[in-house]
Amino acid sequence: MKNKGFNAFEMAKAQFDKVADMLSLDQATRDLLRYPLREYHFSIPVRMDDGAVRVFRGFRVQHNDARGPAKGGIRFHPQETVDTVHALAMWMTWKCSVVDIPLGGGKGGVICDPHNLSQREQEQICRGWVRQVARDVGPFRDVPAPDVMTSGQHMLWMLDEFETIHGGKYPGFITGKPVGLGGSLGRTEATGYGVVFTVREALKELGIQPKGTIASVQGFGNVAQYAIQLYHQMGGKVICVSCWDQADQKSYSFRKKDGVDLDALLKITDRFGGIDKAKARDLGYEVLPAEAWIEQEVDILMPNAIENQVTGENVNMIHKRVKLIAEGANGPTTPEADAAIKNRGIFMIPDFLANAGGVTCSYFEQVQCNMNYFWEKDEVLGKLDVKMTSAYIAVSELARKQKLYMRDAAYVTSVSRVAEACRERGWV
Amino acid sequence: MDVPDIPRFDRKFFDGKERFTRIGSGAVGGKGAGLLRIHALLLSRLEPDAFPAFAVGIPTLTVVATDMFDAFMERNRLHEVAHSDLPDDRIANAFQKAELPTEMLGDLRGLIEKVHQPLAVRSSSLLEDALYRPFAGIYQTKMIPNNQLDADTRFRRLVEAVKFVYASTFSKSAKNYVRMTDRGIEDEKMAVLIQEVVGRRHGDRFYPDVSGVVRSYSFYRSGHARPEDGVVNLALGLGKSIVDGGLVWTYCPAYPKAPAPFGSVGEMLDQTQAEFWAVNMGKPPAHDPMNETEYLARASLLEAESDGTLWRVASTYDPASDRVRPGLSLPGPRVLDFSPILVHERLPLNGLVRRLVKDCEEALGEKVEIEFAVTFDEEADGLARFGFLQVRPLVVSHEFVEVAKAELTADGVLLASENVMGNGSAEGVRDVVYVRPGRFDPSLTRVAAMEIATINNRLLEERRPFLLIGFGRWGSSDPSLGIPVDWGQICGARAIVEATLPKMNVDLSQGSHFFHNISSFEVSYFCVRHDTDDRIDWEWLEGRPPESDTGLVRHLRLAEPLAIRVDGRTGRGVIRTRG
Repeated sequence: MKNKGFNAFEMAKAQFDKVADMLSLDQATRDLLRYPLREYHFSIPVRMDDGAVRVFRGFRVQHNDARGPAKGGIRFHPQETVDTVHALAMWMTWKCSVVDIPLGGGKGGVICDPHNLSQREQEQICRGWVRQVARDVGPFRDVPAPDVMTSGQHMLWMLDEFETIHGGKYPGFITGKPVGLGGSLGRTEATGYGVVFTVREALKELGIQPKGTIASVQGFGNVAQYAIQLYHQMGGKVICVSCWDQADQKSYSFRKKDGVDLDALLKITDRFGGIDKAKARDLGYEVLPAEAWIEQEVDILMPNAIENQVTGENVNMIHKRVKLIAEGANGPTTPEADAAIKNRGIFMIPDFLANAGGVTCSYFEQVQCNMNYFWEKDEVLGKLDVKMTSAYIAVSELARKQKLYMRDAAYVTSVSRVAEACRERGWV
Repeated sequence: MDVPDIPRFDRKFFDGKERFTRIGSGAVGGKGAGLLRIHALLLSRLEPDAFPAFAVGIPTLTVVATDMFDAFMERNRLHEVAHSDLPDDRIANAFQKAELPTEMLGDLRGLIEKVHQPLAVRSSSLLEDALYRPFAGIYQTKMIPNNQLDADTRFRRLVEAVKFVYASTFSKSAKNYVRMTDRGIEDEKMAVLIQEVVGRRHGDRFYPDVSGVVRSYSFYRSGHARPEDGVVNLALGLGKSIVDGGLVWTYCPAYPKAPAPFGSVGEMLDQTQAEFWAVNMGKPPAHDPMNETEYLARASLLEAESDGTLWRVASTYDPASDRVRPGLSLPGPRVLDFSPILVHERLPLNGLVRRLVKDCEEALGEKVEIEFAVTFDEEADGLARFGFLQVRPLVVSHEFVEVAKAELTADGVLLASENVMGNGSAEGVRDVVYVRPGRFDPSLTRVAAMEIATINNRLLEERRPFLLIGFGRWGSSDPSLGIPVDWGQICGARAIVEATLPKMNVDLSQGSHFFHNISSFEVSYFCVRHDTDDRIDWEWLEGRPPESDTGLVRHLRLAEPLAIRVDGRTGRGVIRTRG
């Protein structure tokens, strides 16, 4: 997304270059992994409800599929850029690799604002998107999923279009479908819970009991909501959340020093995670400026909204009490801010490790769809916990042994796996 | 008991540094707390070379603390169904459909991915610890073979077993039992022990060579034994045979070589263990997650002999001499008398048991009951493995009551016996529930069990303790040997009588099934054999107008309370009428 000159792809490439140096990757491997293997740019003409035709720009980027079919979400956002999608596709490659699931990385998007589109118009965008790439995606090539402002409903429209084109049933084409229609139990919770599984493991390493810790969370969408739920269940307390206000076109933070009440907040939250300010005030919340979430006196920060949120400009606002940052969002921390966090000795759980619960559960969904046999929720969440915990332990052990920053250790783990797969396939 | 000093489960069940870990952060319940104390004791007191033939230890376990139970109940909104009057199977079904808390799922999954051998999933109740009372046989234990190739299947079975144990917290029996205390079932919370099963695999069966229960005090007496000498039950296979009150070998640890109190060799053959329980490692049974014995199998001594597990525990009946000969060299029926261990001392098991009892008594400051399992693994350095499964405090009454022999035959005696367990006197019992001797038939024991349970529930509601009289072994799992009740179905009884008839002439259980319950609630347990001087005045009972009468079971309500007196030192007891 466009954001004050911030270019996510430049950031992703810089991160990769650093790891490539650490791993002493050869030039061919660098050239291969620095850019997507394939990308598709296309137009989606849609007849709007008022009879006019509007053309939307769509993308699909397949960064790397050496370890398995590409996997990644489809974002609907008015400020979407292909460079953001490039970066997100690359991060998906690293994410699937770091949790060691047999998938590669992809991402897609459409430049549009669902807030201003009817359901029918959104359906036409979904179907149009699939029509453009139907030959280049599928259960064994590239498996899309919901992302920013897309949902299970969008996935179902896309699946239906894909199956119509191909003349068969392919529930493994797309994940994030509603339960009962090829979706997996536990998928809704997976990303948020996954963040907290890694938080739990990090706290163990830091010798801190979750009970009694305090956190501040940026965002109040699906990831943040379930992260808060599990974190509360573990005995922690969230005192501040933030969210985007559609009417004001800006974000706010909502603070309650004795702890936010998740259930009460959910009752005054719209489907995009926007909290009603007036009702929040009635419930005793302080409504603060957008960045207030970052300056709270807490033990844990969870940036669970969008990329480029912890920057060189606000990193110094992080309170000295903060011991741990878990990146539930993709790319929320700029390299400049990251360096400052590293210097301050704050423990970092990098995005593609912390938020890998979603793609891990998507993988489970695909496995279930391909078997046409669906697991109980506790089976899904039990496996998710084990997968996330194993991934965390592998990264943290590498970090400890090689004295690496956690983000670097996670990159080394995942990039080396992908590079190895490319080598073994004879690509480089 | 809080558990700050138990390390967290690190998902390495057998490979981890710790053998006693926890999942969650709440209390660990009575069983867990008992084992925790003994864990420390074994580490500190028992010198490694004190019993060189044995490797003594607590089988590896992790305890799911009560905060997970709370979360399970709350998040699935199970309180309403749990406290309802729904049948046990409906409650169990609702629990099976509910979801375990996310916080414990990863640990269970991590455990199951690395473990491929049988696990026992045991209850460990909070009230058991808080009230310092045993809840033996009240809550369920489930054994799972855990040998399926597929980790998903193993995980599902484990999850089902945990939910099964949770559901047993709210069974009718459990609710009735808790009602007998001064607490409500709403105070109850359940921790769950997930524990390695001690044993070895023999084909499709997995079981220990010996299971045992030792009680350091017993009002039951035989021969020279004094109450403080205690009593030991031994069985081949899983301890379920003992806990269920089946036929097992009983002896006094002070006199392990004393001949068993059987009238004849034939009686000995009839009254010793002929079947044993094992975990079924073979073909998966029909899926039945609400059945405690889903993965258990019963097997015969013939099968044990082919497994090679009899030679340390059995003797052989020699028909030619009508004697029981040591060992298995002769052909003939095998007799599970444990004489190779107890009489011929091929293994100092009794010495170890006595030592552990002494240590546990000193550590807990009172009389104890210990459950254990032993395997003789010839390949493991020749060491026998002694698995310490459980320790509980025993409630012992020290009230001084003297019952003279002459009192047994005095006027106004409703019932007299020289073989009574318990001690002290009981007042205020005005209700009598008895099985009518003229109507009783061994084929009707299941019917009698149901009818007695109904009356028991009614009297519990009315808070009226009662005298219960029936035939055969109370609580026998074999309905041909006695009335197959569980404790919750008779828990309102203040005094229990088990009698024989010519058509139900079995060796009485001496309360072995309910030993812990009757001793902790100080219930007197009378054994009345029809072929001795012990007596029951049936005529008097039959002459009273009944409160209810099913034909088989009668309930009397007396104008005056009975006088129930038991002399624990002599084992003599008498019940007198006052009206």
